[in-house]
Amino acid sequence: MTRFARLSRQIVFTLLGFLAALAFMLPVIWMFTSSLRPNAEIFAHFHPLSWHSIWPREWTLANISGLMGTGFGRSLLNSLIVTAITTVVGISMALLAGFALSVLTFPGQNLLFGFFVIGFSVPFDAVAVPLSATVRDLGLTNSYFGLSLAGLGNGFAIYLLRQFFAGIPKSLAEAARLDGASWLRVLWSVYLPISKGPVIAAGLTLFVFQWQAYLWPLLISTRPDMQVGPVALASLVSLAGTVDFSQMFAGALVLSIVPAGLMLWLQRYFVNSVARSGMTG
Amino acid sequence: MTDTPPAARRRARLGLGNDWAMGWLLCAPAILALLVLRVVPALIALVDSFRQASFFNPDEKIWVWFDNYVFLFTQSPTFLQSMKVTVTFVIVTVAVQTVAALLLALLFVQRGWAMSFWRTLVFIPITIPVAVSAVVWGTAMRGDGILNAALERLGIAAQPFLASPDQALWSVVLTASWIGVGYWMVFLIAGLKDIPEDVKEAAAMDGAGALRTFFSITLPLLRRPLAFVVVANTVANFLQFVPAAILTQGGPNYTTRFLMYEIYTQAYLQGDVSLANAQIVLVLIVMLAIVALQFRLLRSNT
Repeated sequence: MTRFARLSRQIVFTLLGFLAALAFMLPVIWMFTSSLRPNAEIFAHFHPLSWHSIWPREWTLANISGLMGTGFGRSLLNSLIVTAITTVVGISMALLAGFALSVLTFPGQNLLFGFFVIGFSVPFDAVAVPLSATVRDLGLTNSYFGLSLAGLGNGFAIYLLRQFFAGIPKSLAEAARLDGASWLRVLWSVYLPISKGPVIAAGLTLFVFQWQAYLWPLLISTRPDMQVGPVALASLVSLAGTVDFSQMFAGALVLSIVPAGLMLWLQRYFVNSVARSGMTG
Repeated sequence: MTDTPPAARRRARLGLGNDWAMGWLLCAPAILALLVLRVVPALIALVDSFRQASFFNPDEKIWVWFDNYVFLFTQSPTFLQSMKVTVTFVIVTVAVQTVAALLLALLFVQRGWAMSFWRTLVFIPITIPVAVSAVVWGTAMRGDGILNAALERLGIAAQPFLASPDQALWSVVLTASWIGVGYWMVFLIAGLKDIPEDVKEAAAMDGAGALRTFFSITLPLLRRPLAFVVVANTVANFLQFVPAAILTQGGPNYTTRFLMYEIYTQAYLQGDVSLANAQIVLVLIVMLAIVALQFRLLRSNT
């Protein structure tokens, strides 16, 4: 291939890549700009469609700051607390299981791995209704612990960590064991420091899934002060006959910025871990 | 016996050979989670699906065995409709997403400028909470929304989208596809990068064109990641709930009554928990069958 042909190929692919990104980002851009313009402007510039349909004439942070006085701020805080619990507990659980299943040798481990992957492949929502009755009987409704249950068990996190640990030479663990280290010590000081990528990828998965949870909080949060962000957003839309679109878009923006920002920052760990997990190969 | 291999003896002495107590102990939290968050509620649903509130005393449940299931398939005004809606939705969404994800994956493994940045932007929708995507798309698809403004600009009449029985389901398909495509694309990119360079070079050397190479080399070698994407995507979309709950309440005319919304309505608005549990048992059977199929596919086709 000539230099010219190669260059023009690259230009075409770059252009296509940009167009694809733009197509997927348009709704996000529209959400972003709509939340930063005065309420009266949101639907004002659609006829005919023009540059100002999506680009505000006037920018304002009033929608965002107006949100914080309402119950929405509280819901956002609840989402952060619940998601933090799920991520920390979920990743600990996945680390212990992934470590045991790949580094230790014990009867039943392959069977156990199969149960984890198959069992957690069934989405949590499938059992949310029967579980919510039990959770209610136990008095765990309207509790952070109860809310965090939705995303705790994540087969992908266990799978990712187990595959990564299995690729680390066993001699490392053996050397540490010779020095008298306990298994937990081996996990903490030998395996964990070299597993940044998969740990971040597993944590990101746990975070994004719990942050989105909708059905479960709907079932077990009955008090307004224990509502989570997505449910509070939906009630902004469906409670009132007339929707306050500036509030809705501001809420949508705040709820998206947290996980999308994390993903933009850490996505290469996610992509690399998927590529290396052998999940697909 | 004294002739055990030295390596095995060393492993046994170090406790690397047999750590069953420690192994099960470290797995205990995950086992507990599996039992509490999947197995036990599934069994509760199974047992309760064979019962029904007594006609004479609503607080008492009596055994009716398969009556709930028989009711679902013969008399329920909504169950078969919700099955039809869900299966149609899953088939179309999975097909659209898989093809789009494959095309995007093929694009993003090419050389160009800032390709990984464009790829990341395509991936962003999956991180946005489904409730947010639902309200934003729902607002865009209003009669006076920005989508109709765009159609008007192109000289096309305004469309009712979610308000019409003919378009509501397809509007949800559009929203769901937008959400998921970038996520599945990542798995297909990983699969494409696993294809050895020399295989592709050999094909190019033999004078195979791009299309020919794609269908006879790339696609067969991509079978496992594609199988994974199709199955995992099917499972993920089967329990679609948020768009129906926030945007359509299953309507208009039950055309977006997804199975999960049907179950939720049955249990919480109509108060028939046992009937809802019978539906959950059916859902679980379908889920497990699909997941088992995935394991067969991934195991046999190496």
